[in-house]
Formats: sequence, structure tokens, C-alpha cells
Amino acid sequence: MQVIGSIIYTIHGELLFAGILLLVFVLWFFFPKKGGYALISTAMMNSQKVMVEDALKYLFDCAYKNVPCNLNSIAGNLQISSDKAGRLIEKLLKMNLVRVQNQEISLTDIGRSYALRIVRVHRIWERYFADETSIAQKDWHEEACKIEHLVSIEATEELAAKIGNPVFDPHGDPIPTSEGKLPKPKGILLNAMKGGDIGKIIHIEDEPQNIYEQLVVQGLYPGMQVYVTEILDNKIVLAADGDECMLTPLFAAQITVEKLSNEERKTTKNELLSELRLGETAEIAGISPNCRGLQRRRLMDLGIIPGSKITAVLQSASGDPVAYSVLGTTIGIRKQQSDLIFIKPKKEKNNEQYNK
Amino acid sequence: MSNTINNNCEGCPAYSKSNLVRLGVDMENVDYVIAMAGNPNTGKSTVFNNLTGLRQHTGNWPGKTVIRAEGGFIFNEKKYKIVDLPGTYSLLSTSTDEEVARNFILFGQPDVTVIVVDATRLERNLNLALQILELTNKAVLCLNMMDEASRNGVEVDVRALSKELGIPVIPAAARKRQGIQELLHTIEEVATGKYVCKPRKIKSNSPKLNHAIEKIAAMLNKEFPGLPHVNWVALRLLEGDNSIIEAIKSGDLGNINVQSPQIQV
Amino acid sequence: MEDIKNTPSDREAILSAANAARWDLDMDFHDTVIETIYQEASQIARKTVKQKGDKAAYSYDLKIDKIVTSRWLGFPIMFLLLALVFWITVAGANYPSQALSFLLIDKLHPLLKSAMEFLHAPWWLTGVLIDGAYLSMAWVIAVMLPPMAIFFPLYTLLEDLGYLPRVAFNMDSLFRKVGAHGKQALTMSMGFGCNAAGVVAARVIDSPRERLIAIITNNFSLCNGRWPTQILIASIFIGGLVAAPFAGIVSAAAVVSVAVLGILFSLLVSWGLNKTVLRGEASSFSLELPPYRPPQVWQTLYTSLIDRTLIVLWRAVVFAIPAGIVIWLVANVKIGDLSIAEHFIQWSNPFAFIFGLNGVILLAYIIAIPANEIVIPTILMLTVLSSKLSGIGDGAGVMFELDSVADTANILHAGGWTLLTGVNLMLFSLLHNPCSTTIVTIYRETNSVKWTALATFLPIILGLIVCFFTTQIWYLLQ
Repeated sequence: MQVIGSIIYTIHGELLFAGILLLVFVLWFFFPKKGGYALISTAMMNSQKVMVEDALKYLFDCAYKNVPCNLNSIAGNLQISSDKAGRLIEKLLKMNLVRVQNQEISLTDIGRSYALRIVRVHRIWERYFADETSIAQKDWHEEACKIEHLVSIEATEELAAKIGNPVFDPHGDPIPTSEGKLPKPKGILLNAMKGGDIGKIIHIEDEPQNIYEQLVVQGLYPGMQVYVTEILDNKIVLAADGDECMLTPLFAAQITVEKLSNEERKTTKNELLSELRLGETAEIAGISPNCRGLQRRRLMDLGIIPGSKITAVLQSASGDPVAYSVLGTTIGIRKQQSDLIFIKPKKEKNNEQYNK
Repeated sequence: MSNTINNNCEGCPAYSKSNLVRLGVDMENVDYVIAMAGNPNTGKSTVFNNLTGLRQHTGNWPGKTVIRAEGGFIFNEKKYKIVDLPGTYSLLSTSTDEEVARNFILFGQPDVTVIVVDATRLERNLNLALQILELTNKAVLCLNMMDEASRNGVEVDVRALSKELGIPVIPAAARKRQGIQELLHTIEEVATGKYVCKPRKIKSNSPKLNHAIEKIAAMLNKEFPGLPHVNWVALRLLEGDNSIIEAIKSGDLGNINVQSPQIQV
Repeated sequence: MEDIKNTPSDREAILSAANAARWDLDMDFHDTVIETIYQEASQIARKTVKQKGDKAAYSYDLKIDKIVTSRWLGFPIMFLLLALVFWITVAGANYPSQALSFLLIDKLHPLLKSAMEFLHAPWWLTGVLIDGAYLSMAWVIAVMLPPMAIFFPLYTLLEDLGYLPRVAFNMDSLFRKVGAHGKQALTMSMGFGCNAAGVVAARVIDSPRERLIAIITNNFSLCNGRWPTQILIASIFIGGLVAAPFAGIVSAAAVVSVAVLGILFSLLVSWGLNKTVLRGEASSFSLELPPYRPPQVWQTLYTSLIDRTLIVLWRAVVFAIPAGIVIWLVANVKIGDLSIAEHFIQWSNPFAFIFGLNGVILLAYIIAIPANEIVIPTILMLTVLSSKLSGIGDGAGVMFELDSVADTANILHAGGWTLLTGVNLMLFSLLHNPCSTTIVTIYRETNSVKWTALATFLPIILGLIVCFFTTQIWYLLQ
């Protein structure tokens, strides 16, 4: 023992070096998304089972939208060589999940029910990520794609029960029931709308991801009212919640809308609660759909409801959060959240009481 | 009249303090079960402590009561068990607290549900009260913090409020132990059926939703004849409430169609 | 009694009808329902509520709020109030602590020992029961009870008054930057009194992610039980570095820096947790600022004594008794010539030296897990035992403390302690696993083995890393 002790005294430089190395390794290993652990788990995802399930999901999607599907489109969608895709189709044929007619590939009944199960799992988890976690909007799809191959249908049913058996995923897609029932697709694509039409977005396609992300950045969301102002050669110009927005037909084809006929066009743009100054009062117009789940519930619980009057009363010593008085209670709200709460533009001054 | 707390009767024989025996947590063979619901930070725990003689900590924080608390008392020789439900703002979302409160009132069928509201913030508190009235017919509104309300110049027309809601409304100031006798007396009246409540029901103004509710409610009525609060159950189905779905699957929903007997011995 | 019409398939029909109806309804129909109810509530309120005159009390509240949340006065008022609470606690606890210690340790302990002797109890039974179990329990009570009995009621009074939400309101922007909730400022300051109570206090945070962060990082608040260790070691090893007149202020500064380091770690770890393991947990922010209310002083005193002080103390005592027995046993049960404690110390010394600590410290932190209060007495006893010092202390397995700092310093120097050991002990005392009471409390509050394990092992790993680098860099610079 004493020997070891004396050795330790003499190798301090080396120990320090070894310590730093170890620390760097551990940090790298657990680094989110790019670390060793993340790399290993991504590598595990490329198994045969995942391929089969992704192909079924794609075929199901084609059938739902009434688009023909062949070997090349499968290869393109799964991002694999047509060789590999050919072998995959052979495997699916052997498993009796698909059939091929004139180059066109479609699902058998067994394949369809398998696909429905995966779609149900995928969409329930997407809904869960959107409502009950803080996973970023652009990651829902990707995370659900990972988890759909790993979890059991039982675990998913339990989850569905816990979050109120949702019937829509956060993109507006209906979730198949556990018996495999699914409603007929509703609405029309945005690029089929004419100038002067009013509609409500009911779905935004989440694949390919780069287009979806751009649509999210534009501020478009299911439930939003859009008004087509004009159609140019290669652009559709619309007013979305008072904001002007231009889309190419390619982008517009990602959006499904429900045409509204007798609805009033919303012309005014709502202001944000964060723009309300101390002492000012306004009427709440609504909460942005980008505020979801727990946060949305909490705000509604506290009386952030269309029609309620809200007054900015206090600023914290560090500037943010700001306290608002609504329905007789004072609530501190961070700017992050007050940016997601809409107010009607007309403000009433109420300066004698809150003079600063 | 609206703003005074009716405390004059502390001295009369019917209301005398000796009629109340606090039982703490001793709750064998109770005659009536009372549920206590209310928003967080309305003094619900103080009312509970006043009735049972227990001392739950009540801080000036929203949402102090995290677990469900139970206690008991004897009033006019009848034994009551009182369940303090978690303080919630609403009964319509998926949080565990709300599920506990919702399911206790609907499936537990308490003899009386006491809704404690903060008189200084009535509008906010009525939101929950209206939701509770959707799923029970026997309720008492305890208008707490009347002392604070009068300090702030808030006047509540108790009689009009009672008429609007269709249930008895008792002004109280639990921190000063005011109005507790009145509350006990009213609880007894509602529990024994002397006072029959006609609670206000909500009607949505969305035709699409009303149509869906009517359709589901009709099916429920056929399946479970005499089911009370059928519109509420239909609405909960549309919200995907799992405890309702399970109760339908197992047929247990039929068991709440009989109003609990007025006197249990 | 089952109705014949009630067939499962009919029930299924209801469910599928409901499902179909849900597909037809708007996705936001839930919001519509809530809006309807609020509209109805507001109609009723308009008919039944009248606001008379000006809102005297509200504007009174608002005036106070304008001051306590103002840019210039907000933070000074907060620091002043919290400092006052801590000062009253420290100053007020001193005397009753000494009295309790005199009564329970100096008087009752020898009395019990002679009683056992009178009963002709075997020496090992006296050792286990009186020197082990009783002494450890007495120590925990004497050191823990008075500060808690003062701190908790004071804190509860501030809470009932309604001031604490304002503190959270002011501090929120700092905590937001690390992904935490402003109320964590409150659980942290509660943690300076007792980590177990701080963990319970995290209940007021209604967002799951931020609540977990507050629970897991609470241990970085230097609790009541660790202050005496910090003060003692700082005055021996750091105060001794400078001339006598400055010794007090320098060692006080050292202790305060350790506490500040704890706050920094707490923020850093909050940030890290938020980016990694807790990334996906649900999060929301809202902070109600309730109206100010005059606190009900007597009820507050009663409930804070019962709810907080006695429950925490009881949990600590429950763990202190078996720990006292273990402490006595490891110092007295011999394998060959040496006691278990000496075996462990010799075996772990080389390992401990890498971290600039020693086997005595490691063993003390393992067997004194129930309460940080008994770490120093255990270290002293083990040092005397392993260095074979004679004439000090009360024998193997009997914890002790000395009134004189100089005498304590002599024992530690004889045990081979250096300035580096002292510094590392201060760091390790800040960054090590929570005491067993806190661990149990974390488990009860989170109901999860995973988070309890994280909260337990994360600080000790951080502590070993910090001590390792401190030591190795220290040697490199020499």
C-alpha cells in the first residue's frame, strides 16, 4: 500500500493528463446529438425491421393520398439504392405485405393493418411530444420516427389513454383508431385555391423536413385562417392572420386547407401581449397555437381567454417577467410567453392608477 | 345585506358550537360524504381545518395541498366525512390533479360538494364552479374571504348569485372562523335533501359541438337509461377522457345512474 | 341486474361514434368549450359583483410591489431580508445549541454510561447503545434542532405574508437563462437551511422540468449542517495563513466563497440538466403574485414546527441511530490487529490522495451519511484512532469535538492534514452526495429511482472531479 502511495506522489503530471482525457471523453460521449452515445443509437436504427416499417408507412401514405407508387419512388423516399429497394420489395412480397401490379406497388390487407399500426404509434407519439414535452417542433417527426420502431403497441395505447386519446396529430393528420379506422381525407391543397378564397389550414405535411421547417418559420400552423390575395405565375400570395406571405406552388402543395365560404375575413393583425406597456389595458384575442400542452393549459387556467381584459401592472427588478392583472389576479409572465399571446389592438389608457 | 356575514346565529340553540364535534381523521361509519373543491389559494384548506379541527399547512401560495386530504366531523348527531380535493382551476384538462377531482365528484357521488371560492376574484373562480355543477346536483358554494372583499370594496349579491347558480351560497371568512356554522347548516340541508339544488348547466354556442354532444348523449341515454349529467359525459367522450371510456367499456357507467340514497345508516 | 340491452358492441358503437364526431370537430374545440364557460362566468359576475369606490387595498398592494420589484430597491431589499433571516438563525441558534449539547452530550451521556455500568452491562453493549446510537442521535438533535426551529418559522412567515413570490419574480430572469424557474431562488435559500426541506419546498414549482431541476440541484446549497464544518476548517487552514487580526475575515471570506461556488454550481448544473437529461420534460412558466396578507403568527409557528422542523428532525434521527451504531462498530470490531476503520483508511488512502483527501475523510463521509452535522466529530475520532494519538477524545468509536480550535488543529495536523487537505475538504463538503434524509425526501417527492440516483451521484462525481483537478494542478504548480 505504501508503495502505491509513493508512486502516486511522483506521477502527478501524468495523472492530470489522464484526468483531462477522461473528462473530455465523457463529455464527448454524452454530448447531445453529436456525441458517442447519440452516434451509437443512430447506427442501431438502420436495421431491416426499420426499413420494412418505413416502406409500409410510405406505401400507406401513397394509398391515402391516391398517388401511385413504384420501386423508384420507394428508393427515393427511403433514401436507398434501387438495388436495395428491390431486395426490400422482394422481402415484403415474401412476407405477404405488398403486391405488385404493372410496376405499381400497393399494400395487401395484412400490410395495410401493419402500416396502420405504425402510423397510429407514430402520430400518437408526435402528439405526445407536441403536448407533453419540450421537444422542439422540428424534432417531433424525427423523434417519432425513431421511437415508432422501438415501442410496443401496448405502451402506446397506455400513452394515448393518458393524453386523452387524441384523434389528430400536431400536423393535423387524423390518427387511425386502434381498430384501424381512418376518416377520408378532407380539404383541398392550398395551390388549388383561387384568388379571393378564404380557407383554414387543416394540415401541413411534415415531409420533406426542410420544406416543413421553412413553413414553420413563415409562421403557418394548422387552424390558421388564410386569404388568397392573388395568384402570380410562380407564386401564391396570401394574407395569413393579417401578415402577407408568399409561397411557391411547391410549398403551397404541402398545405391542406378547408375552404370557408361565409366566414368574415380577418383583416386586422393582432398585437402581442409583450407589446403592452405598463399601465395599459387590452382585450385578449387568443393564444398562439405554437403555445401548447402544459403551458397553454396553465395560461388558460389563469384566465388568458379571448375576451378577458388584461393590464400590465409591474415589471420585475430585472425587466422580465412582467406581471399582468387578469380577472383580479396578478400573474408574472415571461416575454417568451407573452410573445405567444395575442391582444386586440385597441388599448385603453388607464394612467392615473399606474403612473410610474 | 349582501356584504355582511351572517354570524348572528352563533348563539341560537340550533347553531350552537356544541353541535359540531371535530373528528380529525377518525372516520368510521359515516352518514354523509362531502367533497371540497375549489381553485388553489382560495382558503379551501382553512375551511377544511375549521370543519375537521385538523391543521393542514396553508401557505400563501397557489396550490399548497398536493395530496388528497380527508377528515371528519359530527354535526347534529350525523357523522360526516370530508374529502379535500386538490385545488384546480378547471376540470377539463388532462392533469392528474384535475382527474382526481373530476373522478371523485362524478364516480364517488359525494352527498354534497362544497365549492370554495374567493369572493375577491369571483369571476375567475366561477369558471370552476360552473364546471362542477355540470357533474353534480348537490353543491354548496362557500363564498370565502368576504372580509378581504369588503376591505377591497367588492360587493357580492349573495341572493342573486344563488339564483344564478341554482345552489345555496354561504358568505364566509374562514380565517376568522366566520360563516362556518351557516355552512354546516346548509351542508346538512343539502345532504338530507331539505334543500333541492337546481344547478345551472352550460350550453355551448358552437352548433357543430352542440350537435355532436346531442348525438352522443342520445346514444348514452339509450344505453344507460337515467344516467345523470349525460351532456357532460358526452363532452368528456369528445375530449377522449379515458376514465369515461373505460367506464363505458366495462358498463360501470350504468352504476352512477341511481342517485345515492338520501340517508345512509 | 345488468340490462340486457347493454351489450359490449352497443358500447363500442358509442365510442366509435364519439371518435367519428371528434374527427369532424375543429382541432381547437377544447378551447371553444373553455371560452364558453368563461363567458358564462363573466356574465354571472357582471350581474352579481359590484366594485365600490376605489380599489384601496389593491393599490396599496401595488405600491408595495412597485417598491419591492423596483430596479434599484428590489434586490437590496431581498438580500437584506434574507441576510436578516440567516443572521437571526445563526445568532439565535448558538445559545440553545450549546445548551442542548451541554445537556445531552456533556451531562446525560456520562450519566447514561454510568447507569449502564451500574447495571453491569457488557462494555460492547454500552458502546453500541450509548457511545454509538445515543451519542449520534444527541449530536444530530443538538446541532440541527435550534437553527431549524428558528429558520423555518421565519421563512414560513415571509411565505405567508406573500413576499416570497416577489423574490421569485425578481430572480426569474437569472434562472430563466439556465432553464430553471424563478421559484428555484426560494428552494435554494430554503436549502441553505436544510436540503431536505428545500426539496420539499420545490412543490411550489408547478412545472415538472423546472421542479426536477430544483430538486436535483438543491444539494448545492450549503446547508445548515455543513456551515460549521466550513467555518472550522477555514479558520484552521485558511485563517492560519494570514496575520491574526485578519484571520477571522479571511476565513469568513473563504466560507462565503464556498457558498457562492455552490450557487454557481447549482446554476451550471441546472443549465446542463436542461440541455441533456431533462431536455424533453414538459415545461411551463407562470407565477402568481398573491395579495399580501397579514400572517397568522401563532398558527405559522405551530405548523412550521410540526410540518417542517419535527418531520425533518425525525427523519434525521431515524437515520442517525443506526449510523451511530455503525460508527462505533467500525472503530471497535477488529480484524487481526486493526479495527475495520483502520483497515479501510489504510486501504483507501492512496486512492484518496489522488483527490487530495485521505482515507479518514472518505470513511467519515460514508458512515456519517445521515447528517452532515456528525462528519467533523467522526473525522476527529477516526483521526485519533488511525494516528494512534493518546489522551485525546473519549476512546474508539466515541465521537467528540473540542472547544478549542487550536487543539482541533493539532489533531488534524498530527493526522497529516495540510492546507491542500483543508481546501479539498471544504470543496468536498460542498460537493458530495446529499445526506440520507435528503435522499429519502428526493425519492418521496419524485417517486423515481432514476432522478434520486442522479441527485445522489451527480454531486459526488462533481466533487471528486473538482478535488482531483485542484490537487493535481496544485502539485503541478509546486
